[in-house]
Amino acid sequence: MVLTIIGDDVATCTRRIKVVLFEKGVDFVIKPIDWTIREHKTEAYLEKQPFGQIPVLDDEGFILFESRAIGRYIATKYANQGTKLIPDPKDLKAVALFEQAACVEQADFEPAASGIAVEKFSNPYKGLATDEDKFQKHVEALNAKLDGYDRMLTKTKYLAGDEITLVDLWHLPHGEIAEKFAPEVFESHPKFYAWWQALKTRPSWIKANEKGNML
Amino acid sequence: MVLTIIGVDVSTCTRRVKVVLFEKGVDFVIKPVDWSTGEHKSEAHLAKQPFGQVPILDDEGFILFESRAIGRYIATKYANQGTKLIPDPKDLKAVALFEQAACVEQADFEPYVSGIAVEKLFNPLRGLAGDEDKFKKNVEALNAKLDGYERMLTRTKYLAGDVSAWNSKNIGLSMSLTMPATR
Repeated sequence: MVLTIIGDDVATCTRRIKVVLFEKGVDFVIKPIDWTIREHKTEAYLEKQPFGQIPVLDDEGFILFESRAIGRYIATKYANQGTKLIPDPKDLKAVALFEQAACVEQADFEPAASGIAVEKFSNPYKGLATDEDKFQKHVEALNAKLDGYDRMLTKTKYLAGDEITLVDLWHLPHGEIAEKFAPEVFESHPKFYAWWQALKTRPSWIKANEKGNML
Repeated sequence: MVLTIIGVDVSTCTRRVKVVLFEKGVDFVIKPVDWSTGEHKSEAHLAKQPFGQVPILDDEGFILFESRAIGRYIATKYANQGTKLIPDPKDLKAVALFEQAACVEQADFEPYVSGIAVEKLFNPLRGLAGDEDKFKKNVEALNAKLDGYERMLTRTKYLAGDVSAWNSKNIGLSMSLTMPATR
């Protein structure tokens, strides 16, 4: 049975998994959520994802949620094919630097980048007003954090070392929206920008966006 | 050389590391950072922690930052002593459920409890006004997220399964910070 992702082809967190699946060359199908019946809030769905969110992985009955956990599972289960995206668990220091980078993505990039996405994409999409003040605060916060990224990327080519890992790819879905609405923040951080350009032009990301994205 | 944590004894993130060290029975020292002189923003500190934050681990010259990454490193390096806090890397499904729980803590708990902490603890400590509106929004959001926690903890004793795991310790820490604030 092929891996099933319960989600939405264009959703940011579903595409965060798709890019990993394409890097690893793993077959999968997307089982779409029925938004018209708010399927993601039904009891049956909440059994699988207790927070009523997408995506969910179904690997022959093994259910897993959270896009980064799913990405880690795929990168580990299929360690021997495609791009190497996670260090060998026996390499204590490589794993530590990977986990450090994973924390940086979630604490120092995701809050501001997803905040920009909420104000400039999700809210208008739902017919809600953009809060310009919140948007500006997120842009300022991201701008400050990217100084830290420039320092990291002066020392190594990617965030966990000189090889690409899952953590670099995880920046793509919200980073793409943040770049559209605050390009000056990206362009004014040269090390970050060069790393970003390399990431977003990867064939796996282009393919992940083939069925459309939020922009 | 004993493990050194460069940090601030009372800070939330330093205590997030300390609790793991105590669970594992690992000796350490805290090397304080001088906040009053802005030491955490000095070039020397930024060379170790590029975002100007604490804590930092110095394990005989191996430098690591981010409290959760440090906790994972300690739990893995000292796997054979103290409380088992991270699954065996060979157990694919146990690791997957641990990582799922780790994501839940960072996405569904941390933003709201730390938001409450900012408005009710850190802002007043810095002489700034707490924003009641932001505080209330974080409380509402946390309230909704804890429905998800109830569903998870109906099935398993801890977030990643039935064995005590590191994520439950993170939550214990954040809750102890939230409780005084929400009272």
